[in-house]
Amino acid sequence: MTLLSRFRSWLRALVRRSRMESEMDTELRFHIEAFAEDLVRSGVPRQEALRRARIEFGGIERAKEECREARGVRLFETVWQDTKYGLRMLRKSPGFTATAILTLSLGIGANTAIFSVVNAVLLQPLSYPQPDRLVALMRSSPAGNQWAISVPKFIVYREQTKVFESIAAYDSAGPGINLTGGDRPEQVKGIHASAGYFEVFGAPIALGRVYTAEEDRPGGPHVAVISDGLWRRRFGADPTLVGRTVELSGDPYQIIGVLGPGFKSDPPADIWLPLQADPNSTNQGHYLRAAARMRPEVTLGQAQAAMKLAVEELRRKFPNWVGPRESATAVPLRDTVVSGVRSALLILIGAVGFVLLIACANVANLLLARATLRKRELAIRASMGAGRWRIVSQLLTESLLLSLVGGALGLVIGFFGLRALLAINPVNLPRIGEHGAEITLDSRVLLYTLLVSLFTAILFGLVPAISPTREDLNATLRDSGARSGGGFRQNKTRSILVVTEMAMALILLVGAALMIRTFEALRSVRPGFDGHNVLTMQMALSGSRFKKTAGAAQMVQEVEQRVGAMPGVEAVAGACCLPLTGGPDFPFAIVGRAPVSGSYSGDVQWRNVSPQYFEVFRIPALRGRVFTARDDAGSTPVALINEAMAKQFWQNENPIGAQLLIGHGIAPEFEDAPRQIVGVVGDIRDYGLNNEPAPIMYVPEAQVPDGISALENRLMPFLWAVRTKVAPFSLDTEIQQEVRATSGGLAVAHVRSMEQVVGESTARGDFDTMLLSIFAGVALLLAAIGVYGLMAYAVQQRTQEIGIRMALGASPEKVRKMVVWQGMRLAVIGVVIGVVAALELTRFMAGLIYRVKTWDPTVFAVVAVLLSAAAWLAVYVPARRASRVDPIVSLRYE
Amino acid sequence: MDKQLDVLQGTLDMLILKAVSLGPLHGYGILFRIQQISRDRLEIQQGSLYPALYRLEHQGWIASEWGESENNRKAKYYRLAAAGKRRLQSETEKWNRMAEVIAGILHTTPEEV
Repeated sequence: MTLLSRFRSWLRALVRRSRMESEMDTELRFHIEAFAEDLVRSGVPRQEALRRARIEFGGIERAKEECREARGVRLFETVWQDTKYGLRMLRKSPGFTATAILTLSLGIGANTAIFSVVNAVLLQPLSYPQPDRLVALMRSSPAGNQWAISVPKFIVYREQTKVFESIAAYDSAGPGINLTGGDRPEQVKGIHASAGYFEVFGAPIALGRVYTAEEDRPGGPHVAVISDGLWRRRFGADPTLVGRTVELSGDPYQIIGVLGPGFKSDPPADIWLPLQADPNSTNQGHYLRAAARMRPEVTLGQAQAAMKLAVEELRRKFPNWVGPRESATAVPLRDTVVSGVRSALLILIGAVGFVLLIACANVANLLLARATLRKRELAIRASMGAGRWRIVSQLLTESLLLSLVGGALGLVIGFFGLRALLAINPVNLPRIGEHGAEITLDSRVLLYTLLVSLFTAILFGLVPAISPTREDLNATLRDSGARSGGGFRQNKTRSILVVTEMAMALILLVGAALMIRTFEALRSVRPGFDGHNVLTMQMALSGSRFKKTAGAAQMVQEVEQRVGAMPGVEAVAGACCLPLTGGPDFPFAIVGRAPVSGSYSGDVQWRNVSPQYFEVFRIPALRGRVFTARDDAGSTPVALINEAMAKQFWQNENPIGAQLLIGHGIAPEFEDAPRQIVGVVGDIRDYGLNNEPAPIMYVPEAQVPDGISALENRLMPFLWAVRTKVAPFSLDTEIQQEVRATSGGLAVAHVRSMEQVVGESTARGDFDTMLLSIFAGVALLLAAIGVYGLMAYAVQQRTQEIGIRMALGASPEKVRKMVVWQGMRLAVIGVVIGVVAALELTRFMAGLIYRVKTWDPTVFAVVAVLLSAAAWLAVYVPARRASRVDPIVSLRYE
Repeated sequence: MDKQLDVLQGTLDMLILKAVSLGPLHGYGILFRIQQISRDRLEIQQGSLYPALYRLEHQGWIASEWGESENNRKAKYYRLAAAGKRRLQSETEKWNRMAEVIAGILHTTPEEV
C-alpha cells in the first residue's frame, strides 16, 4: 500500500465522482445478473432468479455507501452536503446569522489586530542574514543588563574569535551628520562603526567596498559608506559616485561604497564612518553598542560563557576597569529591539483573548437557543438514520461557516482598523515602521486568523452541538411544537455562559479603567517644567569646528542673542538634552567627603545647559542662583544640582558652596576641575512622567570639558529650546532661519513643540490605554447583548407560564421584578467572580499603571456598577415585555 | 461438512488476495472461486465483498480494469498488484503461524501443562 496510490484513488474518486458512481452501478448489476444467470442455468425461472439474486446480495445501497467510504469519498461528500445544508439554514435565519457573524468578527478582528502587531514586533525575524546568530554584547550586573560598552572592553571582546565570527562596536547615530557643500545642506543620520559592522549585519554591498580593519584605526583615512536611499536621493543614483569626496560636517570624506537597497540598520542611518577606536584607549565611558555574529556551531550559552571569561580576564589585568559586581553577557539581538514592549503586548493579547471568549460565549448562547428551536428538525434527521456524530458534524459545519465568515470580516475590521488607529496615533513601537507600515498581512497573520476562527468555531459550536444529541428522540417528536423543551440543563449551560461573560467583561473593564486612571494621573502629574509655548529643534554639532567646547559655546551665545532679540521670543537655550529625553550620567565625588563606592560619592544625571535653560522651561531656583552669561570658560567652574540630588546627598545640610569633582579618572580627556555648587533648582521628571525625579547636576554649556563636548557631539544631537510669547509654531520658520543663519548654515531638524515631546513620551502607554478601552467597550457591549439574549429568550419560552401567573393574579409589577431578579442574579454572580479574578489578574499590569493600585477600590466599584447597570438595562427590556403579556393571548400561544 | 462457516473477521481480504493471485477475476468470479476452492464450506456475504474490493484497491494491493466477461458482457476485472503480492505473502505467513499456535494450544492435554 502506498500513500501515493491511496491519494490517487481518492483524487480520482473526487474528480470523477459521477463516472465512478456509474461504474459502481455497472459492476454491482453485473454481479447480480451473473448470479441470476447461474441460477437460471440450474433451472430457476429468470424472473425468480433475479429476485433471489437480489435478496442474496443484500442491501445494494448500503454496499454502495460502504464502497464509497472505502474509497475515502464519504468524508468529502459529508462535508459538501453539510456545507450546502448549513448555508441554506444560515440563509433562512438572517437575523441570527448577522448577529453571530458580527459578534465573531469583533472578537476575531481584535485578535487579528493585536496579533499583527505582535507579529511585526515580536515574531518577525530581524532583516539580516541568519538573524539567530546575532547577539548584543552587554554589560551585566545584578540590577540587569545594559547594552553599553567602552572602547577598552570592545578591544578585548574583539579577540573572542572562537565563538564570534565577527564583532562590531558602533554608536547610536544620535546627532546626525551635516552633509554640506552643494546647494543645500542636509542633516543625515550617521553611525560610527568598527570595520566588522558590515560583516556582523551581513550588509549587502551594491557599489564599491566597505572599509577595512586597516582603515578603522586612529588616524586612518576619512572614508564613508552610504545607504542606497541616500545614494538615490542625494546623488541621483550616480554609478560613478564611488571615489568622490563629499563634505561631512565641514571635513572632506571619500565615499568608498554604497550598500544594497534592502539594508535596514538599527538605529537607522544613511552614512557609516569608521569608528577608528584607539586600541590603547583607557576611556571608561560606556557609550558604544556592540553586536556580534556567532559562529554557526556556537550556542548562545557558549557565547555567554566566553564573554564572562573575557571580562574576568580584563578584571585580572585592570582591576579598576570592571565594576565589583559587573560581568558581561551576550543576548539575542532581537531581544534588545523589543524589550519593554513585550509585557504590554502580552497583556493586550490576553485582553483580546477575553474579548474573543466573550464573543464565543455569546454565539454559543445564540446557537443553544436556536438548537432548542431546531430540536424537531434534528430529531427527524436522527430518526431517518443520521448517527449522532453525523448530527454533531452538521452542527459543527454550521459553526465553522459562521466563524470563517466572521473571521474573514474580522480580518478586515482588525487589520485595517489597526492601521487606521496607527494613522491617527503614531505610536513609537519598535519595528512597526512609519505609521505601522511594517505591520503587514503576511501568511502568519492569515494563518493565525484562520486558526483563531477554527478554534472559535469549536469553542462555541461544540457545546450546543453535543447537548441536543443527548435528548430523547421520541420525547422530542411527540412534543407538539418547536417551543417545547429548553430543559433545565440547557438553561443552566446558558446561565453559566452568561455568568462567565459578565466576569470576563468585568476583568477587561477593570484593566481599561486602571489604564484610564493612569492616563489621567500622568496628565495631572507636575513634570517640574513648563512645556507650554516652547519650540524645540535639533542640530548636529559635528565636525572639527565643535571638537572643543569653545566653538559650540560661542555659537550658542550668538544664537541666544540673535534669536532672543526676535519679536515674540522670550528666552532661548541650547543644551545637551531636553526634559524627558534622557542624557548621559557621570560619577562624581564631593570634595572633602569620604567616597562611597570606588573614588566616587555617587553617579547621577549630567546636563550641560546654556544660562536661559531654566527660564525657558521655568524650572525654579530653590536656593542660590541659576547660571548667567558670566559663567563662562574663564570664570570659576560652577554647577547646579536639583532638589532630588540635594536631598539624596546633603539631606538637611546646605549644599551651596560644596564642591563636585565630576568624572574624575574616567578618561584624561573628560577630566574636570572641581565645581562649586551655586544653586539648587526644582526637580523635573526626566525619565518619563511616571518616574520619580532623578538626581541631576547641571553644568554651564561654556564650562564643559572639551572631551565631553566632543563625545556628546558625536553621540547626541544638540538641542535648542525657545520660549515664545505666542503659539510656538507661528514663529517656527523665522526661528529656524535665524538659528541656521547664526550657526553658519547648520541644518535644523526634528522641530517639535515641547508639548509634542511630552506627548511622545507617553504615546505608547496612551496607545495601550486606547486599545484596552476599545476592547473593554466591545466586551461590555457583548456581555450586555449576552444577558439580553438569554433573558429575552427565557421570557419568550415562559410566555405561557407568565400568562398563567398573571391569570392567577400576579401583577405586571411582580412579573417584571421576577424577570429582572433572575437576570440580575446571573449578572451579579458574574460581577462577583469577575472582581475576584480581576484582583488576581491585574497584578500583571503593575508595570503599566501609575499612581493607581492594581486593586484600586474606586476602579472596582465604578466598573462593577457600570457593568451591573448595563446588565440591568439588558434585563429590563425583556422584563417589561414579560409584564405586558396578555394572559388570554399567551395561553393560546403555541 | 454440511454447515457453512462464516468468514472470520479480517480474513476476507486475505482470501480475496489469494483468489486474484490465481488470475484476474471479476467480483462475482472472486466469490465463485473462493467458494469453489473451499468446496462451499465458506459463506461470504455478497454485500461485504465489494466494499472490501474497493478498500483493497484504494490501498493499492489490487488493481482493476474493465474487460469482457465469458458471455461478452462488460465486467470489472481485478488482479493482484505488486504490493498485494507482498501483502499476501506476509499475511499467509502470519496466518500459518497463528494457526499453528492456536492448534497447539487447543491440542494441549492436561499432562502437558
